[in-house]
Amino acid sequence: MGRVKIAKKSTFIDMTAMSDVTVLLLTFFMLTSTFLSKEPATVITPPSVSTEKVQETNVVQVLVNPEGKVWLTMNNDTSANWSNEKMRVALLDKVSEIYNETHKNNPVKFTDQQKYTFSKLGSFGVPLAKMGEYLDLIDQPEGQTKMDKWLEGDGDPNHPTGIPISWNQNEAQPNEFQMWMKAMRQSSNENLTSAIKDGTGVAIKADQNTSFDVVHLVMDNLQTIHMNKFTLLTALKGAEE
Amino acid sequence: MAEVQQNDGGKGKKGHQKKMQIRVDFTPMVDMNMLLITFFMLCTTMIKSQTLTIALPSNEKVDNVENMSQASEDDAVTIILDAKRKVGSMDVDTVNGKVVPVVYYYFGKPGGSEGLGDTPEQIAAHNNIQESEFLANDEKSGKARGIREIIQQRNKDVLTEINKLKEKYANGGFGSLETKEGREKAQAAYDEAASKVRKDENLKKPVIIIKSTPQASFGSLVSVLDEMQINSISKYQIDNMTKADSIMVIDYQNRHHK
Repeated sequence: MGRVKIAKKSTFIDMTAMSDVTVLLLTFFMLTSTFLSKEPATVITPPSVSTEKVQETNVVQVLVNPEGKVWLTMNNDTSANWSNEKMRVALLDKVSEIYNETHKNNPVKFTDQQKYTFSKLGSFGVPLAKMGEYLDLIDQPEGQTKMDKWLEGDGDPNHPTGIPISWNQNEAQPNEFQMWMKAMRQSSNENLTSAIKDGTGVAIKADQNTSFDVVHLVMDNLQTIHMNKFTLLTALKGAEE
Repeated sequence: MAEVQQNDGGKGKKGHQKKMQIRVDFTPMVDMNMLLITFFMLCTTMIKSQTLTIALPSNEKVDNVENMSQASEDDAVTIILDAKRKVGSMDVDTVNGKVVPVVYYYFGKPGGSEGLGDTPEQIAAHNNIQESEFLANDEKSGKARGIREIIQQRNKDVLTEINKLKEKYANGGFGSLETKEGREKAQAAYDEAASKVRKDENLKKPVIIIKSTPQASFGSLVSVLDEMQINSISKYQIDNMTKADSIMVIDYQNRHHK
């Protein structure tokens, strides 16, 4: 048997190295990722040449959908004193105080449980009169999903979403949106209030196809309560001079 | 690597016990990892959003009109944003789900120095509105087009100075660009010099008034604010449409978009 045998090669590919690489990549993405917070409306911000980065802390984001509905998100420091949870409770107290000044006949009051639920919310935006009912949903089975559905607009006439906003230039009679913004400004977090003052603390996020009318309404409301400086959220445009 | 070789001493000497090769197939593991990576990649926001800072005037009524800063007629450029309309109607037209911005502009007062007039004939004759669009620089020649060209023509003095500074910066006139610190220093010096030029009262520069019809898109507002930044405009403001503006826009549309 003097024949040379051609060794049969196995087709088995060793995946170990591949697996190593993927695990490394996975670790990288897991550690660097900051999750997109869930928002009641998806908007594509318009491209701009501005390279100013958005603030991540001490900023109030006003989300505007094309129909003119408005939701708010408040991001505070991560420090213990001004944690998001703590500040949201303070915010809810403040806004109900302002609200009750003009709604003496049907004031709103929140229980500690409701305040706790509110402190865990990312975006919020239901009329204050409905806020209690909204926050109570958390105790129901699948409460979180129901709350998200409400915020996105589930078509139920009893579930109005978005903070009530209207053309109003009378500062003494603020609408609910203005009440919220006033409450934000009066928050005890000095970093937030100073950011609101110099304009970096308020960011309007709207879709590029949203009509000017809708954005103008929000801007006009802010102007009425003397928040004349604010920022618009944009996406980076390709390098172009 | 993924195989464990069982060595039983001699080479198949006795009985059935063969050399056993235990191989672990890692393919499913890789599959799963890839899925997880995909998930994290899609959920991650790598690029932070950018922002554009704007300042608006207060809503309070000014009692003393004389105290209001008035732009001189020569310098004033009014830009009116609008959206492309469907032919023969006022409805907004979209292309691939996007609103197409239209830009109108006029210099000085609405209707020119003589004013707009009252009758449709007078309005049509005096209407000094012109149409333009948002265009990037020409790819080959690098020349500005559309509304940018018009703004640049009005802001020629400032832009010439700024370009001189840019050249100086590129040649190392503000400090060496070799090291990182040097670059940062030079950039800071350049920024300061540029902002001085933008605010220089001796240079002739336009005052741009941005107005918008309710139908114009938010995207076009951001585009026009971008143009202000690109063309180093220091004086601009966002204002409400006046009656004359609306009349002129409608008159223009009636005559040109039939």
